[in-house]
Amino acid sequence: MDSSPIILTLASVVLVSTPLIIAVCGEILTERSGIVNLSLDGTMLMAAMTGFIVAFESDSVWIGFLAAMAIGAFFAFIVAFGSIRLRQSQFAIGFVLTLLGDDLSAFLGQNYTRIPGPVVKHYAIPILKDIPIIGPIFFNQNAVVYFAFILVAVTWFWLFRTQPGLRLRSAGDRPEAGFARGVGINFQRYLYTIIGGALVGIAGASYSLNIKIGWSEGITRGLGWIVLAIVIFGGWSPIRGMFGALLFGATKALATYLQRTFPEVSVVAFNAIPWVLMILVLLLVGSDFTERVIMIVPKSLQRPLQRMLRISPPQALGSTFVED
Amino acid sequence: MQDFYSKHPKILRAFDILLPFIATLAALGVGAVMLMVFDANPVVAYGALLEGAFGSTNAVADTLVKATPLLLVALGICIAFRGGVINIGGEGQLLLGAVASTLVGLSNPNMPGYLLIPLALLVGFFAGGAWGAIPGLLKAYFNVNEILSTIMMNAIAVQGMNYLLRGPMIDPVQLESASRIPQTARLSAAFDLPRLIPTRLHLGTGLAIIAAFLVFIFLWRTVVGYRIRAVGLNPNASRYAGINVPRHIVLSMLLSGAFCGLAGAIQVYGLHHRMFTDGSATGFTGSAGFNGIVVALFGQLHPLGAIPASFLFGALIVGANKLQRVMQVPSSFIIALNGLVVVFVVSADYWRRRLARRREAEVVGEVTISSEAEVPT
Repeated sequence: MDSSPIILTLASVVLVSTPLIIAVCGEILTERSGIVNLSLDGTMLMAAMTGFIVAFESDSVWIGFLAAMAIGAFFAFIVAFGSIRLRQSQFAIGFVLTLLGDDLSAFLGQNYTRIPGPVVKHYAIPILKDIPIIGPIFFNQNAVVYFAFILVAVTWFWLFRTQPGLRLRSAGDRPEAGFARGVGINFQRYLYTIIGGALVGIAGASYSLNIKIGWSEGITRGLGWIVLAIVIFGGWSPIRGMFGALLFGATKALATYLQRTFPEVSVVAFNAIPWVLMILVLLLVGSDFTERVIMIVPKSLQRPLQRMLRISPPQALGSTFVED
Repeated sequence: MQDFYSKHPKILRAFDILLPFIATLAALGVGAVMLMVFDANPVVAYGALLEGAFGSTNAVADTLVKATPLLLVALGICIAFRGGVINIGGEGQLLLGAVASTLVGLSNPNMPGYLLIPLALLVGFFAGGAWGAIPGLLKAYFNVNEILSTIMMNAIAVQGMNYLLRGPMIDPVQLESASRIPQTARLSAAFDLPRLIPTRLHLGTGLAIIAAFLVFIFLWRTVVGYRIRAVGLNPNASRYAGINVPRHIVLSMLLSGAFCGLAGAIQVYGLHHRMFTDGSATGFTGSAGFNGIVVALFGQLHPLGAIPASFLFGALIVGANKLQRVMQVPSSFIIALNGLVVVFVVSADYWRRRLARRREAEVVGEVTISSEAEVPT
């Protein structure tokens, strides 16, 4: 069994990144259908709180996850209903829900802070866990981690290789064309916003049941915004999104390591690193500047580089669609 | 009904403006039912809320003091949203304005107040503006989503503030004592904003109201303001009309951040007289940077609408504290009440727009007010 410090660190990076991966997949489904669920930060807190309390009271992590999914789906439903039926700004609704989720989770969870509770059981996959290097990093984890990676594959396949996935993408890219072809645009948007919200719920609960065990106020604060940034970085593709999440997890691990190595540098510098990095990443993938840099490299490399760096959002993202 | 309204457009307009308040009353009605579930008498409870917010000179003053930063932030949000950019960085911009203006006061302790206060407020104004201009530049020239970049700028501002208040700017007294509370020294009393009446009410409230009128004149009576609104309504049409779209995006973010920064400076010079932190942004701002967004939406993104909206939210915050103390209801009730108000106002707006559409369909050619109040996304 290989347990060198580097392997252990990488394994913990994978573990810490899984909630991000799950939430990124959920938000990608939502945004591909044309809706922005901006409430992620509040939703994850609510889900982390609900998931922990329900799991604690029922003594079953799985019931906890189910409850968290329900909360996530409910918050997502409010966003979908507000933007589709009430025709309100998705951003305004999502933002108000973010504030509400933060406050509400702090209050409702106040009797359950900092107490130990049920944990997702460690389960190493036989045979696969003995593969050198990859085994201990990816297959010596628990069910939530395996679920995250399966989810990435399923989401990708669903989006880009199936009929329902095509209908989903038509709702976000060309709603008029999809509607003319008989796709119920608003049904698609409701469906995938709610599914996406349920996945975000799993992500929130996997924090309080799997990573930072237990509940305390603001346990996942900030992560929802990171997820929204990773979705853009990932170009609305689950596989790129997964790499984005792992990269973010690795950056955090690196910041912790550097902090230990250079104790004389102020802590705040390291706390600020992930945020500065995210802005730089958004800058890199979105700007014309990148285009100009690509022009410098040899011609044969330009196309693949362009495919890698340039991205465009679903074209009808954030707009309302009137079916008539 | 339609005939009546089309003959009396002023009544229609008054109805549009009053609708948020009617919605608020409806939300309080639902809140009354919830209070009864808690076995609390809603009449007594809302009496306590009203008394807490308006019951005495001190209460009214507290309401106005709470409303001041909300109003200033809401003004900034109005400019940004009208310009088509969504500024969620109010918290960070407010902190920047507060820290920068505190630095001015700490480094010039012997300057006369009538010189230093305007200087400090101006520095706060531009510090917030600079912090807001960064996401504006990123949005205008590098296509970076401003919702995300402003949120990240908030986090960076909090880290910067914590560093300064625990290190270079910490009160020398705190440095010597073991407690080391992260706060600056109290600013010289000569720099306090004048009190209006013997309460906590300070000149900042008056400044904020004047600012609201200035923002209104800027957005609706000047060329630059017109261009900002044009860019917000339709960037493509604006570009064909010869407006430099990126420049006006940056400008609207800069001004937006500037008013948030001014809110921070006024909090320091009018209320706290020093800068402090509890490690998060909320400790100093009281979430004014976020609540100001709700206030702006409530005021239908109109600078003058933001004045009553901010007073209402100030009253809700101050009165709710009193309600909770008197009635011993769980604090979740207060949160739920605020949430209810927002939900009701949002759905009332939907209803208003539906009415407006119906009117439009029947009275062809009449311009309705509602189209102006839509949130540009």
